[in-house]
Amino acid sequence: MNLKTFIGGAALLLSLTGVSSAQIGMGRRADAPSKGPTIKQIDANGLRKALTPSRKPLLVNFWATWCDPCREEFPDLVKLDAEYKGKIDFITISLDELSEIDRDVPKFLTDMKAPMPAYLLKAQDDEAAIAFVSKEWSGALPLTILYDPSGKQIYYRQGKVKIDTVRAEIDKLLIPGN
Amino acid sequence: MFRKTAVLFAIVTLFAFVLKPETGFAGDFAIGSTVENFSLPDTNGKVQSLNDLKGKNGAVVVFLSAQCPVVKGYNQRINELAAEYQDKGITFIGINSNSTESLDWVKSHAAENYKFPVLIDKGNVLADKLGATVTPEAYYFDAKNVLLYHGAIDNDKSGKAITDSYLKVAFDSTLSGKAIAKTRANAFGCSIKRVGD
Repeated sequence: MNLKTFIGGAALLLSLTGVSSAQIGMGRRADAPSKGPTIKQIDANGLRKALTPSRKPLLVNFWATWCDPCREEFPDLVKLDAEYKGKIDFITISLDELSEIDRDVPKFLTDMKAPMPAYLLKAQDDEAAIAFVSKEWSGALPLTILYDPSGKQIYYRQGKVKIDTVRAEIDKLLIPGN
Repeated sequence: MFRKTAVLFAIVTLFAFVLKPETGFAGDFAIGSTVENFSLPDTNGKVQSLNDLKGKNGAVVVFLSAQCPVVKGYNQRINELAAEYQDKGITFIGINSNSTESLDWVKSHAAENYKFPVLIDKGNVLADKLGATVTPEAYYFDAKNVLLYHGAIDNDKSGKAITDSYLKVAFDSTLSGKAIAKTRANAFGCSIKRVGD
């Protein structure tokens, strides 16, 4: 079997088993797609899983394309992601309408060259989702939270992120023994 | 004993600092609290007060924004509620606390969208006092300025799948002499752009 035949067969197998490119790119950094952002729709259960760290500190940014401060802070977040690549997990969760999952959300992330795994939350009950994330959260965007590997919230910022503060908190978590 | 107490105090203090959220506002204004009368200029510069504007059954102080798409999506619903409950003695008072929105902008937006006054909260003093962080965010006070309900207008910002009209239910409960079942509800919205943010 030559390489072309193997690749063709693998592609056919994936299409037959219904595994879409979107699903392939759903996981954390290791599973992130190499080309263009893929946005995974999540509900309350998906949110719970997304907010569970996987042996590394987890940074989460809640945002929306309609939120000015969210868009303004995004370049800083992309830099932060590059700076800590491999040391932490960093995901973004959009609160845009579901109709934007293949329109404005990926367009913005492409413009930002944002490689972080991206989700769009469509909860049946926004209020319950907000309360699950934090009892302190009013629902105002943006919101950025840093979790330690055990899932404890270490940093919580409602409003534009203070990049030096986040960096300092991540650095503290990355000190051996912490 | 002293040493143990000191260690315990240090741990508690540490956790308080570690978990203290960074939000830039004073804190939440609890249900049942009474707000002092406040006076703010409207979009024409006329100073208006809560006590002058409130109806016989109270007032809704709703934090708005001239640029927030979520507010835009709620404008029709806000106006419908304001019109319906004006006749029942509950008035609406819009508040704009966003430091990034110019007076001209807020004035034209208010004139185009609302039939109730929009007051300018320069320096986000009222937003800080009430702990408002998001637009739209509603505070429903009774005629004695006691907070009865705080939070979202309903549970669907798109307006397409509303299953709980929090604010309207709060009005109807109060007007029929019943306790409000849900006095607090959060929803996604635009953050209020405070001075120094």
